[in-house]
Amino acid sequence: MIRGAVAIFKRDFKKFLSNPFVVIMTLMMPIMYLVIFGNAMGGTISHIPVGVVQEVPPYEDTPLFSQAAVALNHISQKDNPKLLDITVYTDETAAKQDLAKGLISAVVVFPSEISNDHAVRLYVDSSNSIIPSLVESAVRGVLAALGAHNPVAVNKIYGDIQYIQFFGVGVIMMAIFTSTMFGGGIALIKDREAGIHEGYLVTPVQRTSIIAGIISSGTVRAFIAGFTIFIIDIVITGITIQSFEDFLLVIVVILIACVGVTSLVVSFASRFSAQQEYASVVAFLNLVLFMTSGAFYPVIGMPEWLRWITVINPEYYGVDALRSIILRGQGLDVIGMDLVALLIFSGAMFILGIATYRRTLE
Amino acid sequence: MSQPATQGEEVNQDPEKSLPSCSVLPDNTSIIRIDHLTKIFYEKNRSVTAVDDITLEVRRGEIFGLLGPNGAGKSTLIRVLTTLLRPTSGTACVDTYDIIRDPEKIRSIIGVCPQNSTLDVELTAYDNLEFYGKLVNVDDRTLDKRIWELLEMTELTDRAHMKVQTLSGGMRRKLEIVRAFIHHPLILFLDEPTIGLDPEARHEVWQQIAKLNEEKTTIILTTHYMDEAEKLCNRIAFVDKGRLIALDVLENLKQLIPAGDLIEIGFDTFDERLLPVLRQNTLINSVGVKEQKLIISAKNGSKLLPEIVAVFEKFSTPMSSISIRSPSLEDVFIHLTGKKLDDGTNHEAKPARGGRPL
Repeated sequence: MIRGAVAIFKRDFKKFLSNPFVVIMTLMMPIMYLVIFGNAMGGTISHIPVGVVQEVPPYEDTPLFSQAAVALNHISQKDNPKLLDITVYTDETAAKQDLAKGLISAVVVFPSEISNDHAVRLYVDSSNSIIPSLVESAVRGVLAALGAHNPVAVNKIYGDIQYIQFFGVGVIMMAIFTSTMFGGGIALIKDREAGIHEGYLVTPVQRTSIIAGIISSGTVRAFIAGFTIFIIDIVITGITIQSFEDFLLVIVVILIACVGVTSLVVSFASRFSAQQEYASVVAFLNLVLFMTSGAFYPVIGMPEWLRWITVINPEYYGVDALRSIILRGQGLDVIGMDLVALLIFSGAMFILGIATYRRTLE
Repeated sequence: MSQPATQGEEVNQDPEKSLPSCSVLPDNTSIIRIDHLTKIFYEKNRSVTAVDDITLEVRRGEIFGLLGPNGAGKSTLIRVLTTLLRPTSGTACVDTYDIIRDPEKIRSIIGVCPQNSTLDVELTAYDNLEFYGKLVNVDDRTLDKRIWELLEMTELTDRAHMKVQTLSGGMRRKLEIVRAFIHHPLILFLDEPTIGLDPEARHEVWQQIAKLNEEKTTIILTTHYMDEAEKLCNRIAFVDKGRLIALDVLENLKQLIPAGDLIEIGFDTFDERLLPVLRQNTLINSVGVKEQKLIISAKNGSKLLPEIVAVFEKFSTPMSSISIRSPSLEDVFIHLTGKKLDDGTNHEAKPARGGRPL
């Protein structure tokens, strides 16, 4: 009995040690969990862009307005950068437009005087989690410090959005990614493991065809997953789609995001020859990309270095575009940049996949 | 790695380049020309020379046999010719194309049946053929008809829509072979086509190969089965340890060993005094002992047999068996290399002359 167990142990352990790549990846995973998860989720939110504007008339700044603006701009948490980045607007309409475009997260409209009758109006981008409440408490804190008893009227411009709705949109991206883990490109690696790629490498089929074919198939599979989760989101989390156009736009965004994420994993699959290696890398990528996509927690709460990852993270653009349409009812004018970024990313990964694909057995 | 240069500026320094290019055919008889081809595999601080400076030509329309023990470099040579591996040095032309410069062109005129199964076992027989038919650009209008034709040829019509994993080894092999010529290739490479098949299935495969050859397909076949090469091949190349040992038609190869018959006499205990007596006989070419067998090469063996039996009786050595036969390809191979062919372990067997050939 013992002999058998020792033999099985030795065999398994030898295989484990003979693959240093997987050994490293198994250590990297928890370390990255610590670093990425810890920072992405626990990071302190700072530099929230907020617009302040004063009601007219009067056409000159009242003491309340100037003092409050300065005070808001200087709120800072212990050992941390300041909480709000204040922009002073002279025109309430302009401030609200910037809010609608997502350039700022809140607008604070101050009345002309300190009084119990005139409310401070606060407009917040309620599609963000956490941020609205942080801004609201900051405004209340400043008013109390200035001795102003004005009531605060909070106006959630996108209505009450629950965390599950905020998060549900992110899960669409997660569905896309997990389906590519099992679908995108793994067929290439299975072929290599079984040696059956030798059969088609001797045919005139081109690398471009191989990669394009695999990406297409992976994209369709990912799309089915993403679309299913979208429908489930509607049923479970109660998100509403305002118009048929928005519905179509969501489908387009999901599709383009699928192309982006699938191209990414296929560009890895084109090189690897073992499923184990591929799985460990893709699981790692999944973690990094999903954590930094803003699906869980606003990107604004992440440390600077982590935010750089979001710049090249296709999931970030996907989540951002989907939230814009689903939670804010915004259109192509706002999400255009996200789509362009996703397409550039897909193109780059497609080329990388072709370039790294080995057309010979070497 | 000293791969032939593809940059223009190195043309004059590279002796390989001074050879005529593949598009200039010396005549129309050869379809593959291999010139000092070498393939070395490097692995950390070790290197293995799988193909060692092989030069040969394959003629248009022939069935060409590459014969050698396991690990002789046959498959590596096939892989280099089918553009799956790049040669370390040397060149080769397949039809009018260079294996390094025009791999794509070569892929469109060849059909390959690799040694290990490359069928997708999760797909049906029909789907496997369809997949390859599309990859090798068979016209969609004729593809379906062609697939059924091939399935009929392999008697798999009733299994067309069953997954390959439900088929027997023999069925899979046949399916893989017909898949290789779904597009009527100019050259067909078959790497150990009948390995692991039962005698009946082997026979069917041979018939198919012969039939294909009648349709003007050049066939390059590797095998370590002697009978297969004898039965099918026009010309046979012996390969051992990556080197080309001999290349000729069967009849000429057989003349490489002394003419006559081979007499094998089995025994339990052997008396060494027999040997000098037998060697005195002028009709006997050679005498050797191999694994409880005395092997005698002699002209007109059947007439000599009584004399040999008499010698055995004189020393009262009992015989357990006697056989007499004309030399086979295997005997030629043993003569040339001192090894048995399908002996995968590559241990040196004692050749008939009791030593390595000259």
